[in-house]
Amino acid sequence: MKARVFYRTLLGFGIGYLFVPVFIVVAFSFNDLQGRRNVSWEGFTLRHWADPFKLPGLSEAVLNSLTIAFLSALVSTVVGTLIALALVRYRFKGRSTTNLMLFLPMASPEVVMGSALLTLFIVAQVGRGYTTVLLAHILFNLSYAVVTVRARIVGFDRHLEEAAMDLYANEWQTFRRVTLPMILPGVLAAFMLAFALSFDDFVITNFNSGSLQTFPVFVYGATKRGVPPQVNVLGTMIFGVMVIATTIYLVVQARRQKMDEAALAAGD
Amino acid sequence: MTARSALATKADRRRRLVPYALLAPGMLWLLVFYVVPMFRLAITSLQEGSLEQGYQFTGNLDSYASVFTTYLPQLRNSLMFAFGATVIGLLIAYPLAYAIAFYTSRWKSLFLLLILVPLLVPFLLRTLAWRVILADQGVVVTALKTIGLLPENGRLLSTGWAILAGLVYNYLAFMALPIYVSLDKIEPSLLEAANDLYASPWTAFRKVTLPMSMPGVISGTLLTFIPAAGDYVNVELLGNRNWTMMGNVIQSKFLVIIDYPAAAAISFTLMAIIVTMVVLYVRKVGTEELLT
Amino acid sequence: MTDRPNSAAGGGSPAVELVDLTKAFGDFVAVDGLTLDIDENRFFAIIGPSGCGKTTTLRMIGGFEEPTGGTIRLHGEDVTGTKPYQRPVNTVFQSYALFPHLSIFENVAFGLRRQGVEKGEVNRRVNEMLDLVHLAETAKRKPRQLSGGQRQRVALARALVNHPRLLLLDEPLGALDLKLRKEMQLELKRIQQEVGITFVHVTHDQEEAMTMADSIAVMRDGRIERMGEPVEIYDDPRTRFVAGFLGASNLMEGQVSGTDGVTVAGGHTFYVGADKLGGVTGSIHVGVRPEKIHLTHTDSDPGHANQLKGAVTDSSFIGVSTHYLVQTDAAGELTVVVQNLGAERFAPGDQVILSWDPDHTFVVAS
Repeated sequence: MKARVFYRTLLGFGIGYLFVPVFIVVAFSFNDLQGRRNVSWEGFTLRHWADPFKLPGLSEAVLNSLTIAFLSALVSTVVGTLIALALVRYRFKGRSTTNLMLFLPMASPEVVMGSALLTLFIVAQVGRGYTTVLLAHILFNLSYAVVTVRARIVGFDRHLEEAAMDLYANEWQTFRRVTLPMILPGVLAAFMLAFALSFDDFVITNFNSGSLQTFPVFVYGATKRGVPPQVNVLGTMIFGVMVIATTIYLVVQARRQKMDEAALAAGD
Repeated sequence: MTARSALATKADRRRRLVPYALLAPGMLWLLVFYVVPMFRLAITSLQEGSLEQGYQFTGNLDSYASVFTTYLPQLRNSLMFAFGATVIGLLIAYPLAYAIAFYTSRWKSLFLLLILVPLLVPFLLRTLAWRVILADQGVVVTALKTIGLLPENGRLLSTGWAILAGLVYNYLAFMALPIYVSLDKIEPSLLEAANDLYASPWTAFRKVTLPMSMPGVISGTLLTFIPAAGDYVNVELLGNRNWTMMGNVIQSKFLVIIDYPAAAAISFTLMAIIVTMVVLYVRKVGTEELLT
Repeated sequence: MTDRPNSAAGGGSPAVELVDLTKAFGDFVAVDGLTLDIDENRFFAIIGPSGCGKTTTLRMIGGFEEPTGGTIRLHGEDVTGTKPYQRPVNTVFQSYALFPHLSIFENVAFGLRRQGVEKGEVNRRVNEMLDLVHLAETAKRKPRQLSGGQRQRVALARALVNHPRLLLLDEPLGALDLKLRKEMQLELKRIQQEVGITFVHVTHDQEEAMTMADSIAVMRDGRIERMGEPVEIYDDPRTRFVAGFLGASNLMEGQVSGTDGVTVAGGHTFYVGADKLGGVTGSIHVGVRPEKIHLTHTDSDPGHANQLKGAVTDSSFIGVSTHYLVQTDAAGELTVVVQNLGAERFAPGDQVILSWDPDHTFVVAS
């Protein structure tokens, strides 16, 4: 069918367009650079991969990014799960306000959020550094965590929790043995999303990091002088790890998904 | 109401408090780190003074006035670029989302994934890659010169076009996904019904598919326009001084030349524009749709 | 209304006592001052149209909804306001609610484990129960690997293994196909009698209730309109709603005539019986169930005291019986159901006499 071919080609071009920069980032990590500006191809080499952490401050920056990403993802996922549970399972006043308040951070431009937080920290006379960045990251990750976990909870038979209580499990036991196992995929997805968002964040971090360097901040600093290929190497490594993690998660999810879907369609 | 056992009232009260307990930590966090800062931003924008002398709250609207005078070009640029990026993004993303929703059957998830995967490459690196793509000796520039769309000594880098290209690219996924989600919700039987009722494919699209995809289009538009309006990285990496946007001003006034009230005013204005748009959107669609 | 079922089990408290039970959701009152006693070892059914409050009532007995007012006592003990896990009650849910991440064995064992029953005992009881419902070989499988009927039995086993004194069933057979449903209806009845516990079953299918239940309560708008044994409430519905809900009722409007008859339009008088009328006068509706009516050709002798003339307008062959619609000369259109015993069949247009035994006539208030 003509339409099919047309759309498939379109799709091909679209995906291609999206991947060209990715390809360039990866490719230029192998660029045999003689000068400082990594903009044109000068030959293939593996030397940057041999010693990626040569640059001063780079390894520290990466480490900071990793730890902040992990911690902020952890906190925001836990707190976000609680909120998602409340939103789906309970009736309460102020629901619209809550929804709005959760949506706004996702819709606000990062400059505004970053500058607003900076203002807060200045007034509170809190020095900008690791802590402030962490706090900021938890903030913006929260909304995304809620959305992700919520999607998972919504598709989940609410009678399962009642059945557990009917069978003598109290609230805590019900949560531990029935609710949690069921929403775990969503919680994990939220964690991974938060981790990725945090690691990649530049603008908000830039405003609130003071002298602390995270990976994106380091890269930004380097753009003035010319971005060294080691940055590409690390970028590629990070990209690779995240792709692998996501793939594993999805494969496992797909298998579990089939199991849950069939079970929930009671009485086929 | 007749007599109830004492147990009922106590349990009743406890049960009603549960949702609030669950919401508390998160909402408190949002309150402290989002709502309060916004207020602080507003207050700062109305202050006067300097770093050395300290700031006083004077209710001075000078800063706001400057937004529309000194910084008018930047305001104009922000809105212009954001608008451009949104429109172009829509033109590219809609067919893309449509293709995935209707023409990929079994491999749907794979293609969705492919749209998202590029976002795993750090934002700055992705944007820097465009420096390579649009380089003076690069393929794209050479091709355009050959066709004649660019004069012999023309460049793409450091022009508005480069900034636009960067913006479109970076936010494409945010436009495509919501549109995909609404398109996906359309049951095939609706289109079959349209055909049964004598609609040509184009009419069916106009009267059924397009309207039903509107929530996604609006949502995607907001998710593109808003960050684009506040962006400054693309300008810094791909553009030049002539094209600075609001974001650049805010950044410089907060971090480089410290002028908090002015910066705050600009920031707040940007925010106000955006909040207005969101409120209009919410009025139409309701708050439950927001978090899907 | 505090109707008690006829043959009450002797001694001790009723299994379930609901006293003035009310549940309101904002302005909407789902259950309105319900008072009901359910005796031990009965198969009790609550039926009614959608929205009548039957499921809400069941959920309050189970502890999943908190009453807005009133008291619930189970075996004499006040349980109002207690949690489901504090009550000696188990539930079979409409969607079965089997835990998808646990095996069949673990699903059934769930309640026992939460009660701290020791391992050997758990194994013994779970296997025993799986045998009872004929699902022993599925013990290691997951719910998604079972058919609808099998999952339904697992849900039942999971509830019964805890030896509850009261079992609640929330339209558990709704998702099954007809044949399977009929089989399960008999199964459930058999199990109830064998195990000897009280079942409270909610359904909107009156036929199902009448097949299985010892007593039925018909609910409407949050209240019980009629309660009793199936035969009793079927033949003597007492209100128009119940009459209509339990099957076609063939109601005809009329005036009480004398002490034991009702005259309907067209001048026909039906003998009803003084005891049924109970001294009431004025307008009243009189009815007769479709299967109680005999059809004969106008030239034959009908053979029953209450008679009416009419013409057949429609006939549908159902297999077991034939359903006729007969337009009577004065009392509207009546439904008649005749078993296919090989006797003569009537065609649309035939002139017939409808007749029935006066004992089969019932009256309902207008």
